[in-house]
Amino acid sequence: MTRGAGPEPGTLALRPPRHRVERRAVAWWMLQSLVLSGPLLAGTITAYALWTSARPWLAALIAGAAVLLLAGLLVEPLWRYRVHRWETTDEAVYALTGWLVREWRVAPLSRVQTVDAVQGPLEQLLGLSTLRVTTASSRGAVDIGGLDRETAARTAERLSRIAQATPGDAT
Amino acid sequence: MTRPVLPSGWQRLHVRVTWVDLARSVLSLLPAALSVWVFGIDPGSGGTWPLFGLAAVGLIGAAADALRWTFTRYRITLTHVELTTGVFRRVHRSIRRDRIRSVDTEARLRHRLAGLRVVKIGAGQQAAAGESALRLDAVSRADARALRRLLLPPAPAVPAPRESPESPDTPDGTKTSDAPLTQPDSLAPLTQPDSHAPLAQPDSLAPLAVFARFEPRWVVYNMFNFWAYVLAAGLAWGGYWLLSGFGVDVSGAVSGLLDREGTGRAWAVAAAFGAVSAVGVLGLAVSYFTEYWNFELARVPGRDGTLLRTRRGLFTTREVNRDENRIRGAQISEPALWRWLGIADTRVITTGLSMWAPSQPADILPRGPVTAARRVTGQVLGGADNPLETPLAPHPHAALRRRLVWATAVPGVLALVLSWLTLAGAVPAATLWGPAALWPCTLAAAAVAYRALGHVIAGPYLVTRSGLVTRSTTALRRSAVSTIVIRESLLQRRLGLRTVSAMTAAGEGGYDTPDIGRDESLAFAVQAAPGLLAPFVAAGAEGDSGCGRGDSNPHGVATNRT
Repeated sequence: MTRGAGPEPGTLALRPPRHRVERRAVAWWMLQSLVLSGPLLAGTITAYALWTSARPWLAALIAGAAVLLLAGLLVEPLWRYRVHRWETTDEAVYALTGWLVREWRVAPLSRVQTVDAVQGPLEQLLGLSTLRVTTASSRGAVDIGGLDRETAARTAERLSRIAQATPGDAT
Repeated sequence: MTRPVLPSGWQRLHVRVTWVDLARSVLSLLPAALSVWVFGIDPGSGGTWPLFGLAAVGLIGAAADALRWTFTRYRITLTHVELTTGVFRRVHRSIRRDRIRSVDTEARLRHRLAGLRVVKIGAGQQAAAGESALRLDAVSRADARALRRLLLPPAPAVPAPRESPESPDTPDGTKTSDAPLTQPDSLAPLTQPDSHAPLAQPDSLAPLAVFARFEPRWVVYNMFNFWAYVLAAGLAWGGYWLLSGFGVDVSGAVSGLLDREGTGRAWAVAAAFGAVSAVGVLGLAVSYFTEYWNFELARVPGRDGTLLRTRRGLFTTREVNRDENRIRGAQISEPALWRWLGIADTRVITTGLSMWAPSQPADILPRGPVTAARRVTGQVLGGADNPLETPLAPHPHAALRRRLVWATAVPGVLALVLSWLTLAGAVPAATLWGPAALWPCTLAAAAVAYRALGHVIAGPYLVTRSGLVTRSTTALRRSAVSTIVIRESLLQRRLGLRTVSAMTAAGEGGYDTPDIGRDESLAFAVQAAPGLLAPFVAAGAEGDSGCGRGDSNPHGVATNRT
């Protein structure tokens, strides 16, 4: 699981985090794209059928929506699966996410305020969970999506225990 | 004057609040009354409605304020400060006294004339929780001072309060020392008999160090601003309605003036523009003097450590105290249009203060010369070397290329869309000149944005500079950095660039350093948050994807400890 065709980190000498996310996460990202871009495509097609005078413009919009949906269904989930990785130690949470824009996030557990395992409706369907670690900074949260429900709950429990043991007000 | 002390220690706000309300009602009725009785304007004519509107607003406001006074109580117990207020919706708020971080006073002209002060009591995390400070509007000046000393007592060895130029101050030094708790009526003897306090005067402690005072010369930096036109428009609009309320035909007079001049339309427009600019600039100058009169930035002793205090204002006085234990850095912003004049705004980065509040409590200096801003900020932050005067490392040329790509792509896409629309016959072909004219501007902007980039690690601080419209130089304490984020877009990946963001609980929540060279970015990130990234730095510099266990690199650790 930790091995395999991970993304080449280039010359950045940060090693990638140790764990991949679940394979089911690919389905989760596909469903997400479907829910977000699907209605857009359906809407433009309906408008095309109903509103004859604006057809040349709507054709362009339909093409745009179709490209968005296809990219979201076929490209983004697989790309994300290749990139997304995560790791927790006794000192920090480390996550690598993104596809077009790649993002490495490291948060120290000594500054962590809350650790939650969150499940959206689609994630419940697939038995997945998102590990959400927030710090006192409004921009410092680390979200790790696509984890197995059990893993996320266990990790959240372990992290909050460590975070509570750290003295200070986490600012 | 004796104050009614209610059972159970609850106290009312000062009774003079209601007198002020009465005076406000009378004052707001005055213009309408003058217009009708003295100038003999027919109240039925349309011109007087602004005056009646003014009267109505004033009356309603004063009545609501008096009602608020009636239903407001506060008390200070051994552990909490409590406030209940509200007529229809009762609000009870309490702040634990050991959580109190700031006690600030503020006074508008009406408070000043009545010897009152608005006291704002702030607890640490309020900004993050979206909670405002507890506000006592208003108590007497002496009570405000006593409250401050009670809730934020200074460290034991404190010099005596500075002598004030006018009426003898009550000996509050002794008062606080033997009344650390808080029977509310212990404040009563401090009430001063004379209610008129004509001048701003020290409401609190003698400073340990004064960093900056009011500089009349800095008016130059505050005069030229977009707001000049807003101010002029506001003045013109207010004046127009006021005068027409008294039966003066302003528009007729202005058009008559223009007709008599008999000059061309262009000249008239130019003259109007000049007049508006002059009024606006003068207005801003006056506003600088009234807002920053008696300005002082000083370090004063506080309960746990020292406070950074600003005090200012001629008619409306405002005093802000910031706990220096919570200051994590400082930021100097230079608006691009006025870079040649060296204009800079200065603020501290601190937890528990909102960066976006209209009163801007984080601002520690008026808009002024950037050299002074750097010097004062360096003194405030302390330490041997001023982090804001450290020379910054420039960013690689690839950062300029990235900006040039975007500066070309935006007008390019715009031109494509427009030419498609032109072919479809939707817009005339002349619109294509728009993107053509835009291109040189975006290229110039790209160069300006590139030149703004810079970063360095200066002792305990990380310093980063960026921004196009406003070039901001930020010095952030490295120990305050929590999360480190490194970002890389597709274009950045091609160009070998990365953006490093240091997230913190203070200020804006995080500060970005865009487009550092790929190799350098990691060194910067590792140093920005000491110890955080070390376990994740791989041994090899190139393509180490076989990430085994425990390969934290001794070299990486060494870099980061130094």
